[in-house]
Amino acid sequence: MIQMNNIVKRFGEQTVLSDVTLEVSEHEIFGLLGPSGAGKTTIINILTNKLDPDGGSHKIGATPFETGLMLDEDGLFVRLSCFENLNVFADIYGISHDKSLEALKNVGLEKAAKKAVSDLSKGMRQRLALARAILHKPKILFLDEPTSGLDPLTARGIHRLIMGLRESGATVFLTTHNMEEAVKLCDRVALLNKGKIVEQGVPLEICERHNAVKTVPDLEAVFIKMTGADAKELEEEG
Amino acid sequence: MRSSKAIFFKQMKDVMKNRMVLIQFILFPVMAFIMTELVAKSSDEIPNNMFLTMFAAMFAGMGPLVTTAGAIAEDREKKSLRFLVMAGVKPHEYLMGIGGFVLLVSSIVSVFFGLIGDFTAAELLKFILILIFGSLTSILLGAAIGIFSKNQQTATAISVPVFMILSMCPLIAQFNETAEKIAGILYTQQINAVVNDFSVSAVKPVLIILANLIVFVVLFILAYKKKGLKG
Repeated sequence: MIQMNNIVKRFGEQTVLSDVTLEVSEHEIFGLLGPSGAGKTTIINILTNKLDPDGGSHKIGATPFETGLMLDEDGLFVRLSCFENLNVFADIYGISHDKSLEALKNVGLEKAAKKAVSDLSKGMRQRLALARAILHKPKILFLDEPTSGLDPLTARGIHRLIMGLRESGATVFLTTHNMEEAVKLCDRVALLNKGKIVEQGVPLEICERHNAVKTVPDLEAVFIKMTGADAKELEEEG
Repeated sequence: MRSSKAIFFKQMKDVMKNRMVLIQFILFPVMAFIMTELVAKSSDEIPNNMFLTMFAAMFAGMGPLVTTAGAIAEDREKKSLRFLVMAGVKPHEYLMGIGGFVLLVSSIVSVFFGLIGDFTAAELLKFILILIFGSLTSILLGAAIGIFSKNQQTATAISVPVFMILSMCPLIAQFNETAEKIAGILYTQQINAVVNDFSVSAVKPVLIILANLIVFVVLFILAYKKKGLKG
């Protein structure tokens, strides 16, 4: 469903993605993990045609119309209500406003339907952004850190929703810092460090390869090992 | 067309909740009404339509320009535009939605200006059409500024001096030859010329406004190629 072959991206002198190759199958939840600045958002920007790569090729099995997107910057119309925000997109997609209500219900925002976006909390805005992303039942869903900054209960609700979307046939491509989330949600993951894929596969198998299976698969240990995050933290503390 | 309609109604709902933009649409006609009723009509020395034509010409040059530039810059700054593009909205559909709404409101304001004035039927028609045509030109210039601006602050920083030049030049032209030559090619001067003297043929002013419009369309295309709507 998604293919990236030897993608290279430079910003000026700096190479932010180097030889990135990955493949995401249909109906799969694929997680892209990496420290801040590793290039996760750049990959989403390339896959959603915001950026052009400097080398390599990529292919997506869906049109922009069949793609849902949720980013760190939510892009909501702040003076409009939740319902009005979704209706703008429902009108663009040519679907009924009932679908807007359904999407609001799915993310638990039906009671806030008439509330202006400017009056919502960060978590509510994130849920509304997710509702907009799933409104037209996209084939592929790109989620950039969908649960960052959310309380555990809301995050759990979003996890259930993402898994439900996969069940209904969507392919989900998400980025996250949260290793537990990756193990729980993702069928396969890729670890990105300094613009390079340093490991990819099924979370449990990756953990086994790196002897990081405890009572629960410890993907975090692999992450630290592969990205050197613990050494960096020690350096900073020292 | 479906996307343009969606953007049109989104813009309408947005403006209804945005006092700052509403003021830009309401300020000039209200000022014109007050000045005409309280000052012009009670004075024998001031022509009845003097304030009306002055505020109307200022409105056509400023209102649509600032509103369009601000709306596009806000959608760019808040990344809303990216989601619209991802949803399949084409740049011309987006501009038709935003510009169409601004043109509708500008047309209503132009009719209001016309109705409070002291015009014959033929003058009224000429007055309203030239204001609408001028507003359309302003919308295209505003769209170019909006696309070129990174955020609303930049859009305001560019629109205000542009508007000042467009509106001040015709005024200075009365006292300075160089300014008169420059003003001669500006659409705001042509609006002034037509609304201040209906006996003047509108052919040349309309052609100059049309030339301005074409320049702004080219400017818009260049700004779009440089900045695009995705960023």
